[in-house]
Amino acid sequence: MRVPKIEFLLQRTHLEADREQTVDLLIRIIPPEIDSVIGRRPRLNIGIVLDRSGSMGGEKMERAREAAGYCIDQLLPTDRLSLVIFDDVIEVLIPSQLAENKSALKEQVAHIHARNSTALHEAWVRGGMQVSEHITDGAINRVLLITDGQANVGLTNTDEIVSQAMGLFQRGVSTSTIGIGEDFQEDLLMPMAQSAGGNAWHVERADDMQRIFSVELEGLIAQVAHTVSMGLIPSDGVRLSDVLNDFEMNENGRYRLPNLQAGSSLDVLAQLRVPAQAAGTKRHLLDLRLGYTPQEARSAEVLKQSLEVEFVEASRLRELPVNQEVEKAVRLLMNARARREAMAHMDRGDYVLAKAVVSSAISASAPLFSRENASADIREEQQELSELSSALDDRRKDSMTRKLMAYASYRRSNSKKR
Amino acid sequence: MRENLRAVKGRTFVGAAELASAAARILSESGPIQERGTVRDVPDERTIRYYLSEGLLAPAEDKQGTASVFGYLHLLQLLVVKRLQAEHLPIRKIKELVEGRTERELERLLGSDDRQKNEALNYLESLITSKASAPSPKAASPPRSQYSQPAPPQSSPQRAAGGSRWARVEIEPGLELHVRDDYEPPREARGMQRLASAIIQSISRRLGKRRR
Repeated sequence: MRVPKIEFLLQRTHLEADREQTVDLLIRIIPPEIDSVIGRRPRLNIGIVLDRSGSMGGEKMERAREAAGYCIDQLLPTDRLSLVIFDDVIEVLIPSQLAENKSALKEQVAHIHARNSTALHEAWVRGGMQVSEHITDGAINRVLLITDGQANVGLTNTDEIVSQAMGLFQRGVSTSTIGIGEDFQEDLLMPMAQSAGGNAWHVERADDMQRIFSVELEGLIAQVAHTVSMGLIPSDGVRLSDVLNDFEMNENGRYRLPNLQAGSSLDVLAQLRVPAQAAGTKRHLLDLRLGYTPQEARSAEVLKQSLEVEFVEASRLRELPVNQEVEKAVRLLMNARARREAMAHMDRGDYVLAKAVVSSAISASAPLFSRENASADIREEQQELSELSSALDDRRKDSMTRKLMAYASYRRSNSKKR
Repeated sequence: MRENLRAVKGRTFVGAAELASAAARILSESGPIQERGTVRDVPDERTIRYYLSEGLLAPAEDKQGTASVFGYLHLLQLLVVKRLQAEHLPIRKIKELVEGRTERELERLLGSDDRQKNEALNYLESLITSKASAPSPKAASPPRSQYSQPAPPQSSPQRAAGGSRWARVEIEPGLELHVRDDYEPPREARGMQRLASAIIQSISRRLGKRRR
């Protein structure tokens, strides 16, 4: 595969001289395009694990069946599919097999109906086994867990399930999760997908299911690298004061980044404390080390890049054009943080403070929202925040509000599409 | 392999041909890739009769008319023999390895190869086994009244009613943690944070009650 590209973007191309300052640095990681000459996508080895507990009844089940059918339609005969359905009993409805006879597969999906309670953990293990039995190097070996409920049969400890999902990922099988509606455990499904190299999706309404499925599948097909990590090493005198994405750290103290997908760049925002420098100085600020495993390779590769910036006098600096992307990235990531903070206040029952946090995010975003050329994602952010603010007045909406905040914040931090 | 075997466990095969075709099906779905020309890819009736005469397969247990009736044990023996042949072991050595083995042992012989190759599967199987043997955290936690009993000054493992071992760890005077011996703390920073705030919350809830 060709290598990813890394761009360093500052608010202006230069920094102001003679002043200690905090600098917003936008690091844009641009995955390589899939080689069009070869034009091949990775083979898929997918295990769908579908909740068929009682609460999935009616429209949800119907849409889930449609989405699974859609998924089958998208597969090539060289891809593998398995389907595990679960309530308190786990059933391997479709043992892992090549997607050769699509109509027979879809026929089986059509007969799934909802019943009973939710043995989420063991079902995930069984689905993982279906994928693992046929684990293929260079393919995407992925479990897709779909549920609308709480794990209430078998192992239910969130941390344990999350660490098991990570354990499986380290052995080559990733997990994505799709939570439906307002009753599932976002505190289980989100960390599970994040630590297991997959994506976390929230399906607010049942009729959104197929779209989410297609985004997940497109992502799989476009995946160019996994096990992505980033180390940031500031040079002497420079301090890394924050990384606004709030990524988890791996055991080597590097940030764990989402998988790289062709066509979607990943925005990371680092804040650096930089000491005063004389005008005209060129200074090395930072070394970046990006580790990743290309989809078709077995071993990791490392890409290094360093950032050097020139300092100019304040008067000259003000004449330089401002890069609006940096300001936007800072604001959106700060708003993602505000959502997490508001969630923490909600969990403590302090709705007044939760609302205050959202309101101050809205006012801090005012310059962004009032831009004449505001992009679609800015408009979307504005609408989301204002809906959030009013939803926080309604206790009946709490469960859904918390999920909307959790997933919005996750998407922003990981540059994920909605 | 394991899934395929599960599907035929407990079945009987009437005649060498039926046994051969069952083995062939499993081998074609998941078996070892054998060098053509040296060992036949899949066993046929004649091979089975030869194995029986050499004692590589146990004698049939039953007869239906003139046909021998074979069981799951025979199928496993046949699969193990084919696998070991693929590794170029001499017949004499193979006989030593296979003779007198139970079904479980033969399954393990077949599975061991997968195990080395497939860490993911091995891992998931270990999750299911460990879950079956460990008591659930809820069932093992001591009754609530124990929390108010005076604690011994030093940290010492305690055996609770459920049979699991608990250690008392003093955090500061007046505050102790009870830790079951198989407890594993979260590995990630986020998990630790969640744990810390859960502890803080339960302490403040308790203090809240006392003040009321």
